[in-house]
Amino acid sequence: MLKYIGKRLLLFIPTLIIISFVIFFIIQLPPGDYVTSYVAAMSAEGEIFTAEDVAYLRQQFGLDDPWFVQYFNWVKGIVTRGDFGYSFEYGRDVWSVIMDRLYLTLAVSFIILVFQYGVSLPIGIYCANHQYSAGDYVLSFLGFIGTATPNFLLAIIIMYYIYIKTGNVYLGLFSTEMLQNGMRWEYVPEFLGRCLIPLIVIGTSGTCGIIRTVRAQMLDEQARQYTLTARAKGCSEATITYKYCLRAALNPVVSGMSGSLRTIFSGSTVSAIVMNLAIQGPVLLTALKSQDMYLAGTIVLIQAVLVVVGTLLSDIALAWLDPRIRFSERG
Amino acid sequence: MRNLNKWISLALALMLCVGAASAVAETAAYTEAPMLTDAGVYGDVKDRLPKEPMVEDADYLTIGTYGGELKRSAGGGNWDAGKPIEEGLFRFTTLGSVEPNVAKGYDVNEDATVYTIYLREGMKWSDGAPFTSEDCVWFYNAVCLNKVDSKGVRSCHKDANGDPAVVTKVDDTTFTVTFGTPKYDFIEALTVDLKWHYAPKHIFEELVQDVIDGKDAEALALGKEICGTEFSDVGKMGKEMLYYFWNYPGIPTLNPYVLSTEEGKNSIKGEYYEYVRNPYYWKVDTAGQQLPYIDKIVYTTVSNVDQQLMLLLDGTVDYQTVGMESIQTILESDTRINIYEWFGGDWGNVGTQLHFNLNVDNENLKALFNNADFRQGMSICVDREEFAGLYSDGWLGGGQAAPQPGALGYSEEWAAKWTEYDVEKAKSLFESAGLVMGTNGFFTFADGSEFVLNIVSVADNGAADTYKILEPYFRAAGIKCTFKDSDRSNIDNDLMSNAVEAMLYPVTGIGDISIILKPNSMVPGYATNVAWYGTMNETTATGDLLKLIELKKELDVTSDPEKRTEIALQMLKLHEENMWTLAYVEASPTYHAVNARIQNFLADGVWSDIYRDMGIAHCQCWYIAE
Repeated sequence: MLKYIGKRLLLFIPTLIIISFVIFFIIQLPPGDYVTSYVAAMSAEGEIFTAEDVAYLRQQFGLDDPWFVQYFNWVKGIVTRGDFGYSFEYGRDVWSVIMDRLYLTLAVSFIILVFQYGVSLPIGIYCANHQYSAGDYVLSFLGFIGTATPNFLLAIIIMYYIYIKTGNVYLGLFSTEMLQNGMRWEYVPEFLGRCLIPLIVIGTSGTCGIIRTVRAQMLDEQARQYTLTARAKGCSEATITYKYCLRAALNPVVSGMSGSLRTIFSGSTVSAIVMNLAIQGPVLLTALKSQDMYLAGTIVLIQAVLVVVGTLLSDIALAWLDPRIRFSERG
Repeated sequence: MRNLNKWISLALALMLCVGAASAVAETAAYTEAPMLTDAGVYGDVKDRLPKEPMVEDADYLTIGTYGGELKRSAGGGNWDAGKPIEEGLFRFTTLGSVEPNVAKGYDVNEDATVYTIYLREGMKWSDGAPFTSEDCVWFYNAVCLNKVDSKGVRSCHKDANGDPAVVTKVDDTTFTVTFGTPKYDFIEALTVDLKWHYAPKHIFEELVQDVIDGKDAEALALGKEICGTEFSDVGKMGKEMLYYFWNYPGIPTLNPYVLSTEEGKNSIKGEYYEYVRNPYYWKVDTAGQQLPYIDKIVYTTVSNVDQQLMLLLDGTVDYQTVGMESIQTILESDTRINIYEWFGGDWGNVGTQLHFNLNVDNENLKALFNNADFRQGMSICVDREEFAGLYSDGWLGGGQAAPQPGALGYSEEWAAKWTEYDVEKAKSLFESAGLVMGTNGFFTFADGSEFVLNIVSVADNGAADTYKILEPYFRAAGIKCTFKDSDRSNIDNDLMSNAVEAMLYPVTGIGDISIILKPNSMVPGYATNVAWYGTMNETTATGDLLKLIELKKELDVTSDPEKRTEIALQMLKLHEENMWTLAYVEASPTYHAVNARIQNFLADGVWSDIYRDMGIAHCQCWYIAE
């Protein structure tokens, strides 16, 4: 197992080099660069730039070098100094921009992840144990609604109804008062209320997939010989469900968690914009739009690292969870 | 005629000085905001105000009360927070004239080569340090001449030969600006081009000297010490700290509000930030109350502009400019929001302006777009009244891209030019422009190749809906079109790389309140995002377009007001004759949605960058009536 993990870790290096190269290349692809975006945006606000100004800005940002030179300098900075470059948009180093929103993003994403699995697993098990019952239909229907409705639309609908009922829009996780005065105990109920909207909107989007997977897997496992044997030997239904069937049914669920690390890091993007959540996703979108390439490149690179790490972790978790995988590895 | 100009200049200077003198508050007892008194650290308000504070005494203003906060939303922009609080040496009045502001007044010599500017004695920066002519002179000599703020010497400071002016200190409240050739429009040009003409020398002297001496590391360290931001290089730092100075905490200003230095409230890229009262602000109301009335302006950042309307409706935001399409929603809502209409300088409704790329790479298209018959055909194939009714839900009538009534160059003929609806005539014009009617009912090029008019626009500005109404008219006239809207940054990049053929609802619309003061939007290549015409220096333009560019260059070095007007009229004439830009609906005013609790809002303003957009509403005079 250790040899396997070591081999996978060594594979990280070429994988990340290729990924970083592709990322940088793609970010460079659209016509223009950050200076064109910047100059155009400033011109629209009434500022005047001459050709000399534009050339000066390009030289100042180091954008007059060929893109592969820029790429090499960027990677060199990361490897030698741990410097991920400079965000043109924010006017400071990329890492500090990422750190600004990291904790909130992690908190929001983690809560949503817990919500998704906390809701989906019991429902999936219930639906499998009560196949074709009214409860199965109702819960599956709700799950489908969550998945079938685009997150941003659900967000708009919920915000509209909340506005109609309360006269407040509840945009963002923090009210102006909270941002002004910092968090206080009296703000906790409102904060929790504000958390509820993204929790429902983003959380429900992933529940259906998990519910259906668990349900189908559980039904498969329940039809197997070992379940029949266990039942014949007098095992309780709880033991059969939670000790045997669920353990086997969780395989695809655990595999699917490999992407969760990436999601936790960046959070949702479109929904976050609609609900004005100050998490990482909108920062990435803005960076891509304005060709703030070091910021966008770093965020995507970290996502790529997390996908690779997440895949490894889920493989290890699977081996731990499923003896068959451990045995096949040894064999 | 030249003598007449001199007398006009002298008379204007005299009027300004007299005006400034009469504006001095007669009251000797000044009062301040309770929050300043309660703080107990600022001392007597009289000692903080200049000897002759400026009095805000416009007719529409009422005496206000202190306190509260003005709630705004923002997308973290530079000018959105800057223009409303900007304080230039001089400023425009709502009538379009220039009046002293930071400066107390000025004199000009007979041949308009030497301007003597007078400042207010005892005036202070927001950190309490004295503001003197040294700050103005040093700013020009150290910052502008060495291009430390990245902008360098503005055109207002250049004479007819392009040589920079000489700025010299006379005493603490007086300095002179001397030109090699007469510069009759200096004060107006200064108010448009540079505006502030000062920087806090006591803060930046060492830093700027380090930059000039090439000691970048020392300069960057000082920059971080001043505003807490680590810049990548001195070029970026110079621009941010000396040009966009209001965006950074810790930099003293003369503005009514300065960015908070408190953590969590001091970054315009943050989720929330505040501009707090400047305790040394130098303006008072007619009752001697130190301005501003409102304690602070608070900004909640939104990630999408549509959210600004939602925040306005639920009372999280007090003030917002809104589009025509939002008016109905606001009026139907249960909130107390007043709508104000401001006049603007747009040529027709910007949302319906159609710009053709006269410098497009495709030779067939280039020849076609440069052909006036084609543009006339594109103009008259649309039933303007019907279109305007559908476009604006009956709010606006048909129109054309032409100066509005009252603006320089306005004529009824121009406003009505190419506006008659005549599809058959349009078709014959297309034929005379070299197009040939194909068998499928659409025009092709003479060489048989397909002609498709590819129109683009910025997503989310409503152009997609406008196109849906416009396209059937074009189709009926035999013009096959496509439309694509994409993100603003993509469009900007396409514009810069000349990849756009035609644009509906341009990024920068044509028109401004004064072509004489700011002709940028009228001149191809001057505003960078209409670079599709070719740049000013390497233009590929010919004919009238080249003439227009040459006139702009002449305007840049001409200061004689009569001569400037003459050039401007020639430029306008070229536009009228060529109609390079079309519009189909009359210009829409700028709508301001203002919570009813906000008092002293300027009801009849003019929205223009020259007037600093909302800046002319003088938010330091607003107050809150709960």
